[in-house]
Amino acid sequence: MTSRPAGVVRGIFLATALVIVLFPLVWVTLASFKTPQQLNDPSLLFFLPSLDNWRFILDGGILEAAGRSAFVAGVTVGVSAIAGSAAAYVISAYKAGGTLTRFGILAAQVLPPAVLVFPFLTIAYMTRTNDSLIPLIFAHLSFVLPVVTWFLIGFFDSVPRSLEEQARVDGFSRFKAFLLVVLPQVYPGLGAAIIFGFTLSWNDMFYGLILTPTKSAILPVAIAGFNTFRGVELGSMSAAILVAVIPVVIASFFIQKRLVQGISGGAVKY
Amino acid sequence: MGTVRLEGVEKSYGDTQIVEHLDLDFPDGTFTVLVGPSGCGKSTTLRMIAGLEPVSAGTVRINDVDVTWKEPKDRNIAMVFQNYALYPHLTVLENIAFPLRATKTSRDDARKRAQEIAESLGLGHLTKRKPKELSGGQQQRVAIGRAIIREPSVFLFDEPLSNLDAKLRVETRSELLTIQKRLGITSIYVTHDQEEAMTLSDRMVVMKDGKVAQLGTPAEVYSHPNSVFVATFVGSPKMTMLKGNLKGNTFIHESGTSWPIDHGPDGGILVGLRPEDIKLTPEPQGSGTIAQIELLGPRAVVTVDLSGTTLVSVVEAAQLSDLQPDGRVAVSFSPERAHLFDPTTEMRV
Repeated sequence: MTSRPAGVVRGIFLATALVIVLFPLVWVTLASFKTPQQLNDPSLLFFLPSLDNWRFILDGGILEAAGRSAFVAGVTVGVSAIAGSAAAYVISAYKAGGTLTRFGILAAQVLPPAVLVFPFLTIAYMTRTNDSLIPLIFAHLSFVLPVVTWFLIGFFDSVPRSLEEQARVDGFSRFKAFLLVVLPQVYPGLGAAIIFGFTLSWNDMFYGLILTPTKSAILPVAIAGFNTFRGVELGSMSAAILVAVIPVVIASFFIQKRLVQGISGGAVKY
Repeated sequence: MGTVRLEGVEKSYGDTQIVEHLDLDFPDGTFTVLVGPSGCGKSTTLRMIAGLEPVSAGTVRINDVDVTWKEPKDRNIAMVFQNYALYPHLTVLENIAFPLRATKTSRDDARKRAQEIAESLGLGHLTKRKPKELSGGQQQRVAIGRAIIREPSVFLFDEPLSNLDAKLRVETRSELLTIQKRLGITSIYVTHDQEEAMTLSDRMVVMKDGKVAQLGTPAEVYSHPNSVFVATFVGSPKMTMLKGNLKGNTFIHESGTSWPIDHGPDGGILVGLRPEDIKLTPEPQGSGTIAQIELLGPRAVVTVDLSGTTLVSVVEAAQLSDLQPDGRVAVSFSPERAHLFDPTTEMRV
């Protein structure tokens, strides 16, 4: 039990952190309901809310962009979950690729995306898939799949090998044993990995900006589009930002605990 | 019906040989225990029979069919692991019924049979629980239930009792034996505990450094150990080894004490004596000094110092009144009870 003064200090600390975190969110939320005139006064807290910004972004294709983002993130994370769980298991149980793979799997993350984006763009042009979602999905896989795999290794480490062996003796193939017995042991981790991978893809702007600049623009690219030659359309942009942020906030709420577990599991156990 | 035959089976990892050229027969319905110190290759042998470990050379036959390169699922075996390997996400009933999911058994049939087996193992009231809500002994019985539901040709046990406390271990041991005798399924059991091996097996295979040191019934192995290793590994307390020389019909120990022995060649010799064969008589001029007396209930283990050599004897508690710590005793044994070994080869002579 913490003593009373320590509790007070902790309370003040948490409250400060909360204000720092929530302030931009509150500001953006307010801004999304303001008219251009009201936006000139950033300190304005009480005003007659207007839905103009929301009407504008809904007509302006933000929902379609959000749909494309969700599609890209969904496909990326689906492929990552299937390939990543299988990869993580062989790395964990069979030491496939040795220690180098286990820790080197994230090596590509060190490279700036700018290094990788041009090969993707070139291939997209060669296969005539530029400005479509296909190269973007591959680009997103290049960072979501390793992260999902790495994240899951720690979870698989805590599954005893004898479970798979038992299932194989009980009459199942290696793959069935993995599917029916090993995989269910890491469902909580897999769930967290899926949400985590989804947000990684959902939040990406750089690859989207270069690979899907116009007709297939994903949400972050569409949001950037509010920075026009006439200036920043702050109200509409705020509304669009909220569309982008809300799913992530909800997702983080669900995975925060598993996220810590997965990261420490992957880092400590070996 | 289930027979297992190993023909020239070997296992090595790189240059390290774990199992050396093993020829073993496991006849139908027998209970064979592979026993030996850790690292002797007994678990590896079991895993090669199960198909969980590929052999480096040789052939594994189950029911006269060559299964050397078959998957575990195609060998019709059941295995109980040391940690039971119960499926944590399934209930007791689902765990027992699980092997039937690999067969074409209908879901209702599978549940019915699992329920019957659970009842017969005294788990009837626990079928809806998850493994982590069970005690060690109950988990053990679930693992056995899962092993018997498929009516396999062969049961494999990999030290299944070592996670239980001493009392439960003895209880489960006899339960296991009853189940095996009732079903008559060929069983191969691995343990490092020689006492477990003695009580469970029809045949015991004592292993050392990847080789069979001796094979026989527990009584044979106990009464006629073929080497110093087997003699000292099997039996508790351990057999005492006395080093000395044989001349005519007299054995002269390093300490100078001598005893009559009616067989064996002249020259250097090791004489092995079971604790129950060593007789101690209090005598002020005796060659031994009592170092320790451990009372075990009806009997006591008496450790005697024979000028530097430690000798262990088991004495009926009733005779203890004559023996005192630090008291001097005369040590004797009947000549035909002595086990003679060659001191260089350490083999029986």
